[in-house]
Amino acid sequence: MSQSIHIEIDRLEGTLLRVLGLIERRGFHIDQIDMYDLGADTRGLSVTVRPRDAGRNIDILGLQIDRLYGIKRLEHAPERAQNAEPSAEKLSA
Amino acid sequence: MPTNKPTGAQLVISTLKALGVDVLFGYPGGAIMPIYDALAGSGLRHILVRHEQGASFAADSYARATGRVGVCMATSGPGATNLITGIANAYMDSVPVVFITGQVATHLMGTDGFQEVDFLGLTLPVVKHSWLVRDAAQIPAILARAFAIAKEGRPGPVLVDIPKDVAASFVEASEMGELPAWTPPAPKAESIDAARALIEQAQKPLLYIGGGVHMADADAEMRDFVERTGIPFVSTLKGLGTVSTYHDLHLGMLGMHGTRAGNMAVQATDLLIAVGARFDDRATGKLSAFAPHAKVIHFDIDPAEFHKNRRADVAILGDLKQALPALQPKMPDISEWVKFNKTNKWQHRFKYDAPGKGVYAPGLLKSLSEKAGKKFIVACDVGQHQMWVAQHCEFEQNLAHLTSGGSGAMGYGLPAGMGAKLGLPDHHVVTVSGDGSFMMNIQEMATLRRYGINLKIVLLDNSSLGLVRQWQELFYEENYSEIDLSDNPDFVEVAKAFGLSAFRITQRHEVEGAIDRLLAADAPTLLHVLIDPRENVWPLVPPGASNAEMMEERWDEPIDSY
Repeated sequence: MSQSIHIEIDRLEGTLLRVLGLIERRGFHIDQIDMYDLGADTRGLSVTVRPRDAGRNIDILGLQIDRLYGIKRLEHAPERAQNAEPSAEKLSA
Repeated sequence: MPTNKPTGAQLVISTLKALGVDVLFGYPGGAIMPIYDALAGSGLRHILVRHEQGASFAADSYARATGRVGVCMATSGPGATNLITGIANAYMDSVPVVFITGQVATHLMGTDGFQEVDFLGLTLPVVKHSWLVRDAAQIPAILARAFAIAKEGRPGPVLVDIPKDVAASFVEASEMGELPAWTPPAPKAESIDAARALIEQAQKPLLYIGGGVHMADADAEMRDFVERTGIPFVSTLKGLGTVSTYHDLHLGMLGMHGTRAGNMAVQATDLLIAVGARFDDRATGKLSAFAPHAKVIHFDIDPAEFHKNRRADVAILGDLKQALPALQPKMPDISEWVKFNKTNKWQHRFKYDAPGKGVYAPGLLKSLSEKAGKKFIVACDVGQHQMWVAQHCEFEQNLAHLTSGGSGAMGYGLPAGMGAKLGLPDHHVVTVSGDGSFMMNIQEMATLRRYGINLKIVLLDNSSLGLVRQWQELFYEENYSEIDLSDNPDFVEVAKAFGLSAFRITQRHEVEGAIDRLLAADAPTLLHVLIDPRENVWPLVPPGASNAEMMEERWDEPIDSY
C-alpha cells in the first residue's frame, strides 16, 4: 500500500539525496516524487512510498527521516507508533 | 599574494584549536595541502599514520576512550575513500568523530579531475551529517556545528569536505558564532510512571544494557539503578563494563556468543528493560523468539530506535542521566528470580581447564585481564579473539573495552589501541588481535614506533580466518573456502623490523610469564601467540536460531601446541 510523506527540506547540498537515499535504503520503493519551492531556503517534497516487504514500517521511516539534519518539517507525517514519544525539537543544520 | 586576511585553511586550524582539539589523526595529500600548510607550527598535535584507515580508527577509539570528539583528516579521492570503513564504523557504533577531507578545487568538481570523488555523495548513508564547504568564511561556523552535531543526541560521525581553492582563499576573519545549546530532552513523567508500574508488577525483570548508556555518560546512573533495584542484567558487546562485569548480578553478554546464563535469563524474563540498546540481530537471535514472555521498557535518545525491531510497551525518550534517577520503583520480591540467575551463572561459568599443552586463548585472556588491573583497556580486532575478549576479560568500566561492534571491521584493533593510548596515556592499553585482522593495518606499527606509543599487542595466531573457518566447519559441511593463512609472515620478525620489541609463545606454561613481560615493557611490544587453529568460540547460537538454542563446547580433543 502506497503512502505519501510531505517534507520541508533546506536547500543545502546533499539534503535531497540524503532523504531519497534513506527511503530506499530503509526498504521502501519510491513511486512518485513532487518537489516545489517554498521560498529561498526551503523546498517542499512529496514522496509516495511503498514498503518492499511486510517488515517495513512507515512510522519508523518517518522517524528516521525526521532525525536527518536539514529536515525542517514532516508535514502529515505518518502517525508515530503507539507509545513512542515525539522526537526532540531539532536545530536546523 | 600576502595579506593580513586568514585563509580558509588557517580558519580550519584556528577553529579546531578554539574547539579544544589537542590531537588529530591524518595523512596529507594534494587537495588538503593548504590545511597541512596551516597546520605546521600551529601547536596542534597531529599523528601521521601510514594509511588513512588507521587515522579513522584511531580517531574513533580516541573519542570512545576520552569522551571527546575525535578528529581525522585526509585528502581527496583515494585518501578520502580510505576513510569510509572508519566512518561507517563510527556511524554503526554512534561515535562522535569529525572527518575533514580535502576536495579538488571547485572549478574541477564534476569534471572527473585528478583525485576527485564525490565524497559527500559516497558517505551519505554513513554520516550523521555532512557539508561541502563552498565559502571559506563559513568554515568556523560549520566546524563548530559539526562538533556539536557529532556529540549531541545519538552521537555519530560528521564530514566536512573542503575544496582546495576554498581552503586556500583569503577571507575576512570570521567567528564560530554562538551555537544554540542542545539540551537532551527530559523524559516524560507519564512514561516514567508507566515504567515504574511495569517494574513493580514484574516477577522476573531483567536489564539489557547497551553501549548507549556510556555514550550518554550515564554509567554512574546505571550503576546506581542496579544497586537500588537489585535487578539482574545482561550486556551487549558495546555495553560491557558499563556496570562492572565483576558485579554478582551481571549475567554476561547476551546473544550469539553470549553466556548461557545471560541468554537463559532473556528467554525467561517477564520484563526486559532495554537501556541504550537497539535489539541488534547479533544480540536477539531469532527476533520472534527473543524474550518471548517479556514486556519491554525501552530507554533511548533516538526515537527512531523505538519499535524498530521489537515493540516496546513503554518507550522512554530522553536523557538517561535524568531518566534513570527518576525511575524509583518500589521493588517487588524478586529473590527467587535472582537466585535462579545466580545459580545459572555458577553452573554455566566458563571453564579454563582445557586438556592439552597448547595455549588456550580464553585462559590467556582471562589471565591478561586479571594481571592488567583496573586501568586496563583492551582494543579488539574482529573475529574469534574479539568474542573471547568479550567473554573472558573483566571490565571495571565501559571505556576499557574498545571494539568494532556494529560494523565488525577487521583492522580496527591496532589503530584503535593507538588512539586510546594517546587519549589515556596512564592506562595499560592492550590491542588483542588475530592474524587476519592484524595484517589489515599492520603498517601502523610504524606509527607506534615514530611516536613511542607504548601500546602492547597480543596477537592470537591460528593461521586462519578463524570465525569464518568456524562457520564453515559448523554450517558449511567443513568446506573450508579461502580461510587458510598458514603462509603468514613471521610476525615477530616483522614487528622487530618496524622497531618494536616482540616475542613468541607456543605453550600453555609460558602464558603467565609472557603476560608479565608484556605488561612490564616500557616500549611498544608484540606478544605473538600461536594457538590451535581448531579452537572455536563457544557458546554459539546458530544463525536464524533462538538464543535458547546454544551450541556448547566439547573438549573431545586436547588443545595442541603450535
